[in-house]
Amino acid sequence: MNSALPHRSLEQMAARRDRSGSLWLIQAFSGLILVILLGLHMIAHHYVVEGGLRDYQQVLDYVNNPVVFILQLSFLVLGVGHGLLGVRAIITDMRPSASTLRVVNWVLIVIGAVAIVYGFYLALALQRMAG
Amino acid sequence: MAEQMIEFKVSRYKQGQPGPTYQTFKMLCDENTTVLVALQDIRRDLDDSLTLRHSCHHASCGTCGMRINGKEELSCVVKVLELGTPVVTVEPMRNLPIISDLVVNMEPFYDRFNSVGLPFIRGSEFLEDAEIAEGLEAYGRYENCIECNLCMSACPIMGSDETYLGPATLAAAWRVVEEPRGLPVKPLLDWVDSENGCWRCHVAYECNVACPSGVYPGDTIMSLRRQLTKRKFRGLFGK
Amino acid sequence: MPDIQPTTDPARPKSSLRAWFDVRGRSVSTLAFALNRLTGLGLTAYLFLHLIVLSQLLRGPEGWNDFLRIAKSPLFLMLDVVLLFGVVYHMFNGIRVALVGMGMANRQQKGLLYGLVGTGLVLFVVGAVLIFTK
Repeated sequence: MNSALPHRSLEQMAARRDRSGSLWLIQAFSGLILVILLGLHMIAHHYVVEGGLRDYQQVLDYVNNPVVFILQLSFLVLGVGHGLLGVRAIITDMRPSASTLRVVNWVLIVIGAVAIVYGFYLALALQRMAG
Repeated sequence: MAEQMIEFKVSRYKQGQPGPTYQTFKMLCDENTTVLVALQDIRRDLDDSLTLRHSCHHASCGTCGMRINGKEELSCVVKVLELGTPVVTVEPMRNLPIISDLVVNMEPFYDRFNSVGLPFIRGSEFLEDAEIAEGLEAYGRYENCIECNLCMSACPIMGSDETYLGPATLAAAWRVVEEPRGLPVKPLLDWVDSENGCWRCHVAYECNVACPSGVYPGDTIMSLRRQLTKRKFRGLFGK
Repeated sequence: MPDIQPTTDPARPKSSLRAWFDVRGRSVSTLAFALNRLTGLGLTAYLFLHLIVLSQLLRGPEGWNDFLRIAKSPLFLMLDVVLLFGVVYHMFNGIRVALVGMGMANRQQKGLLYGLVGTGLVLFVVGAVLIFTK
């Protein structure tokens, strides 16, 4: 019989306890923290500075503020992590084979790492330019 | 309510066909005609090759599940005229292989469901003091789930990944966790704490809408997740 | 009876994406789920785009001012409104998904959906008006 489980066997389906629960919780908590960070980000960008944060020097001064600097980098790490975990969840729902999922995991890790490293470089470079 | 001529657009499929097709039948229905009775009438009077599955006719056995106008229902309790549509579309449940017309292969459902080890009948705690009738050891009560597969058919995630354990299985697992009565809980919690277990649910809650039996599988999945979340946090702090 | 065993599963959608993306006849919670995924994908793409745009700052005031001129065009402001919708919806529905998904207030999930997404929509309308008037 061509069963309804073409990609993974029943034994694999019943695989016990993996990291998916912890990954989901990381996504949920990073999301909740992002709500707070994004709220602060929107208020700071658009309401604290008169007329909104637009001018080149204004942006540099803003990034140079140590509190903002830490908030931005936290936002970067949590945002990239949360977004890529979401992309992974969508891909896992598309029935990838175990080997494809391994490749997907690594591709997402590399994309995330590059984005975070680039974001840190950008933030530090801008801070240097402002300072 | 006067009788009305209703058009039934029925999904037809026989082994070897490339895919299902629709066939239309006209049937006179009164206010008491259920979709199941109409389909039985069609089979009796118009086309005896139409295949459907049923048993009790009163929403207890869970065998006549199908999609009526796109929604998962037990056809024995859906009155045709109450649907209010001149054409009633009838299709088999989703996410299981079709054997013939409206009959699906329930094997993948039971492969999952029976793994939980849920006792089908438990001793009743409601009739503890009652005098037990002759010939019985104890009064029993059935679990709510009638194993109709409607929740598994409605679940969008079952549709995108058939290796998901699914709402009925997870609801059965929660019943054991909630009331173990001697059954081991930890291995069951480990089993559902996985990619294809309760973390695969994405809170679409179609199962709650589809369930004809008050099991609310979506809520039971979240109850399992609450237990697992607590367990993870306790693990994190070394308790 | 081996001959009744099915050899095909014609009822299964050809694309696994269709199962969650096709919301016809589905309940409001599935609609919320599909929209959450779509906005999530959009926001992830935007996050990477945002990082690329910010690199303009490294090119000095000219590069940034060139970008600002484009950013103030009506078309760009419309895209801002779309982005705001994505952010607000994903944020407020996400709060519900996180709470319900941990087994908190799961029996009130529909009330939470209407309450939170309703609040989000009010904020979205206010924000959209501000984008064009400020």
